Amino acid sequence: MKKENIIKFYLKYRFYLFPAAVFLSSLFLIIFAIYPQTVKLINNQKVAGDLTNKSKLLEAKVFALESYDKEDLSQKVGVALAVLPADKDFLDVLGLLQEQAVQSGFSITSVALGNTSNKAGSASSYTVKLEMKGSKVLFQGLLDKLENSSRLTKVGSIDIISRQTTQSIDTSLEVDVLYSQLPKDFEKVDSPLPELSKEDEDLIASLIKNSTTISKPEEIQQTPRGKSNPFE
Amino acid sequence: MKISINLLPPETIAEERQKSRFYKIQFIGIAVILIMVFLASLTLALQVLQSRNISVARAQLSEEEQKVVNLKSTQASLLLLKNRLTVINQYLGVSSKSSALYRLIDKLVPPSVVVNSINIDKGGDMTLSALVADSVSLDDLLDSLVSKDDKENKISQVSIQSLGRGRDGQYRISFKIGLK
Repeated sequence: MKKENIIKFYLKYRFYLFPAAVFLSSLFLIIFAIYPQTVKLINNQKVAGDLTNKSKLLEAKVFALESYDKEDLSQKVGVALAVLPADKDFLDVLGLLQEQAVQSGFSITSVALGNTSNKAGSASSYTVKLEMKGSKVLFQGLLDKLENSSRLTKVGSIDIISRQTTQSIDTSLEVDVLYSQLPKDFEKVDSPLPELSKEDEDLIASLIKNSTTISKPEEIQQTPRGKSNPFE
Repeated sequence: MKISINLLPPETIAEERQKSRFYKIQFIGIAVILIMVFLASLTLALQVLQSRNISVARAQLSEEEQKVVNLKSTQASLLLLKNRLTVINQYLGVSSKSSALYRLIDKLVPPSVVVNSINIDKGGDMTLSALVADSVSLDDLLDSLVSKDDKENKISQVSIQSLGRGRDGQYRISFKIGLK
C-alpha cells in the first residue's frame, strides 16, 4: 500500500523529482569530489613545479661545486683568512708590526692595545698604538708597508715630532687591525652559491703573490764550513 | 490520396506525449550524471598520476640534496672565500684619510720649511707646526697649501692658529688643515 503510494507520488511529480535528484547528485559530486580534487591538482602542480625547479637549481649547484678544485680552493681560503682572519690574533699582529717597523728602519719604543672592538664597515677592528723612532725619510715607506701588509691594517691617527738636528722623528701611530667573524649560513643546502668574478680572481692572485713573497724564506747558501775532514 | 485518422483517445495521446517528454528529461539527467562521474574519475586519475610525478621529483631532489651535502666542504670554502674577498676588496689598497693627508702634506711642504710636529687624527684633521727661515719661504708654504693644483682638491680649509717670529728671525707657524 505504501509502495503503491510512493509510486503514484513519483509518477505524479516525476517531472520535478527526477531533475531534482539529478541536480542534487551532480551538486554532491561537484562539492565532494570534483572541486576538492581540482583544487588539489592545481596546488600539487605548483608543488611539482617548485620541486623540479629546486632540483634543477641543486643540479646546477652540484655541477658548479664539482668544477672547483678542492685543494686550490682551500689554499685560497687559507690566504684570504691570513689577510683577514676571524680572530684578533694579538701575538701574530704584534710580531708582524714589529717586523714591518724594523724592515722600514724604525725601532718600536712602546706598544699598547687600544679599543678592542671597533666596527669598521663590514669588518671589526682593534687599535694598536705604536710609538717608534726612526728617520723622517723612511716614514712614508713605513706607512706603505703598514697599509699593504699581509694582514689587513689601516693607519689611524699619526703624531710626529721631528728633531731638527738629526732628521730623525719620534712618531706615535694608531694602527687599526681588521678582522671579521665567519659567516653563519655555511651549511644550508639551498643557500645560493656565490660566483668568483674576474676581480675576485685577480685579487686572490695578488694576495697569493703577496703572501708567497712575504713568507718565502731567504735562501741560505750551503757552503762548507770548517775542515772537510776533522780528523786530518 | 491517403487519409490518416487517429482513433486513440485524447488521454492516451497526452500520456504518450508526457512519456516521451520524460524520456528526454531522463536522458539528459543521466548524461549529466555520467559527465559528473567522468569528471570525478578524471580528476582522481590525474591526481594519482601527479602524486607519482611528485614522488619522483622528491626522490630526485633528495638525491641532489645528498650530492650537495657531500660537497658541503667545498661550498663552505667558496662561501668563506667570497665573504673574505668582498671585505678585503673594500680595504686593500685604499689609503686611510690620515696617511693620504700625510703624503699630500709631505708633497706640498717646500724643502726649506722645517716641520716640527704633525698631528693627524682619524677623521683627517691635521695640526702642523713648522719653522720657516724667511718670509719668502712662508709665502711659498701658504701658497702651496692654499692654491696649489696638485692638492687634488682634498684640503677643505687651512686655518692659522699661531704665527710668530723668534729672536733668530725665523717664523714659527702652526696651522690646522681640514680634509674634505
